Amino acid sequence: MNKNILLLKTLLLSTSQANIYKHCNDKKKKGKITGGYIGVFCLYAMLMGYSFFMCMGYGKVGLIDSAPILCALTISALSFFFTVFKTNGYLFNFKEYDMLMSLPFEPKTVAACKFLYMYIKSLPWYLSISVAMLIGYSMFSDAGVIVYPIWIILSLFVPVIPMLFASFIGFLIAKFSSGFKKTKIVQTILTFAFVILCFTLRFITEKFFRDDKVDETLENISKTTASIGKIYFPARWFSDAIVDTKISSMLLLVGLSAVLFGVLFAIVGRSYRSINSAMKSHAAAKNYKMTTQKKKSLVKAIAFKEFKRFTGSTNYLVNGAMGEVLVTIIGFISLIFGFDKIIGTVAPSAPLTTQMMEPAIPFIIYFFLGMMATTACSPSLEGKNYWIVQSLPIEKKTLYKGKMLFNMYLTVPFMIFATICFCISAQASVTDLILYLILGFTLLCFSTAWGCVCGIKHMRLDWENDIEVIKQGTAVAIYLFPNMFVVMGLVVLSVALGTRMDHRILTVIMIFVSSVLAILSYMRVMSLCRKAS
Amino acid sequence: MSMLEIKNYSKSYGEGKKAADNVSITVESGDIYGFIGHNGAGKSTTIRAVVGVLDFTEGEIYIDGHSVKTESMECKKITAYIPDNPDLYENLTGIQYLNFVADVFDIGAAEREEKIKKYADKFEITNSLGDLISSYSHGMKQKVAIISALIHDPKLLVLDEPFVGLDPKATFILKEIMHEMCDKGTAIFFSTHVLDVAEKLCNKVAIIKQGKIIASGTMEELTEGHSLEETFLETAENIQASKEDDNE
Repeated sequence: MNKNILLLKTLLLSTSQANIYKHCNDKKKKGKITGGYIGVFCLYAMLMGYSFFMCMGYGKVGLIDSAPILCALTISALSFFFTVFKTNGYLFNFKEYDMLMSLPFEPKTVAACKFLYMYIKSLPWYLSISVAMLIGYSMFSDAGVIVYPIWIILSLFVPVIPMLFASFIGFLIAKFSSGFKKTKIVQTILTFAFVILCFTLRFITEKFFRDDKVDETLENISKTTASIGKIYFPARWFSDAIVDTKISSMLLLVGLSAVLFGVLFAIVGRSYRSINSAMKSHAAAKNYKMTTQKKKSLVKAIAFKEFKRFTGSTNYLVNGAMGEVLVTIIGFISLIFGFDKIIGTVAPSAPLTTQMMEPAIPFIIYFFLGMMATTACSPSLEGKNYWIVQSLPIEKKTLYKGKMLFNMYLTVPFMIFATICFCISAQASVTDLILYLILGFTLLCFSTAWGCVCGIKHMRLDWENDIEVIKQGTAVAIYLFPNMFVVMGLVVLSVALGTRMDHRILTVIMIFVSSVLAILSYMRVMSLCRKAS
Repeated sequence: MSMLEIKNYSKSYGEGKKAADNVSITVESGDIYGFIGHNGAGKSTTIRAVVGVLDFTEGEIYIDGHSVKTESMECKKITAYIPDNPDLYENLTGIQYLNFVADVFDIGAAEREEKIKKYADKFEITNSLGDLISSYSHGMKQKVAIISALIHDPKLLVLDEPFVGLDPKATFILKEIMHEMCDKGTAIFFSTHVLDVAEKLCNKVAIIKQGKIIASGTMEELTEGHSLEETFLETAENIQASKEDDNE
């Protein structure tokens, strides 16, 4: 068997829940795996539903020819963005590096297989979008039979180029960082800087393309995607291959993906060992002098342990603190440029005023801060170290209280800062500010406790790479997606209801609802702890 | 014939102290070469460079005449490595993992079956090979790692603290296997803290302290009739004392 295929097959098998299911005799574990699969399939269905209705919208307003390019751009953007977050964990500094590199595999083979593994693992998400949009497209266009296989085949290639590009950025960051003594810190800072740059560029690009004022939102998006497609050729090739059945465009997309893949891993392979050596090495000063030690309460000691775990992993820090970094930047921007400018940038075509958007402030902030609750992945992140907390005289509820406390320490200060910034720039009253702070706090209590419920229920300790539970774990997926969609809905709802009733009453109702949800989630955590003890 | 040649190998992490400082060792075919030193002395740093896992710039390492730096594939094809804490694929079964390694070395079906059976029976883990590695104890994982290392008849066997976690019977079997391999001409290079084992097993020894080789040679040359433990402690203390004198 070809070594690339052999390694790829083994990598997939080694993280396959189906393989665990097949060889495990523990009924409880089998049940968890089945539950995990059902949960993930529900998420695929949600994503498919969202993509399908988006495509339907295009069809209804007669813009169905824009659906292929929109599909390609959506998949490209998502694959690029998610790969930036994952590339460090998948390509570099993984747990079984020593074992793999001591076997007769070329470094470029290991790197390429790791990339393909990452690609195959994320493919179901992209195919969910693509297949749903294909169904929508077929309903509104008079597409021939040939379009279906072309669409499906090319959907496999659409995420490749953005993922390669994101991996290359990750490689450059890793290579640059490996020259420093504090490799992880430099790598974390550079990754943050790059993601922030991407966000900034995204808004600048949208602003640039949306300068021509068009009233109809969908038509506006359609024009924007067409304009971006002019620059991003692979998306245009996908669209041309579908709409005009251009074989040359199809070949270009497939060919460029293959060539870039070959070139990238030839480059990465050359420095692969030196980068990993630097990342796996730790300089030791060996100059510690015993100093006065401080005593902490047990819950605080656990929270501190969580903090050290959080800051000790680039994957965890970049994924966990991205919302905090973004909300801080947006808070500053709102202070400098005003709240109305932010609304104008995010939703330029929507007839929204600062007054209308004001009740949504806590939800906008929560969208960023609640996007990732460390409590959702922290139980799984104990991994092989789980024996430490298991063997110590720590009650389960104390352990999870410590984990929840850390998430609150992490998120609440940023919520306070952003709420104050937004309220100042929106010229909200002090009463409103206090109400928004209370709502922000109760929402974070809910996200912390609900994340903990997901984390305990879908705890997975046998991971090979921490990115598996941080980015792709069942617990995180089940926490993240419904939370994200519900918050987006709440933003719309608070704006809509805020124009019909007193926004203070609305905020009080939201505080009540989120408090009840937070209490229920907390009680569920305690009940899960009792069961586990 | 020298199977492993480490020439003036140095490795430092960041701008810190050198973890390995001008290390030179030669392991001949048929040698069982012990590499001993305190925790953090530089044993694993040296071993990881030998097996091509750790990048290095200073010095040269040759395996059967091939440079680890420039001909890493040739080196890896004839080397087997057993790390101190084997990070195997936890969600594969023992047999799936062994088949993976056998596939990597292109071992035929009959040969792999014979070897896996032989060693798994010896280590008494045949019945567990169908279970997930995540369900294994540390010792069982170590046994699977050892079997995977023996599957392709390596010319050089590199082991990092191989006896940690093994039960007495498995320790005895491993020592027996090491002797058998040595008789066939395989070179064995391993690190250990267990000086009694090193004394009985090795024909050559190197002592490393703070990244530097402070003594090396055949067991007889090194111990001069004393126990290895006495020699090790004496040599290490002498070096420490001379360093303190230098500092004063």
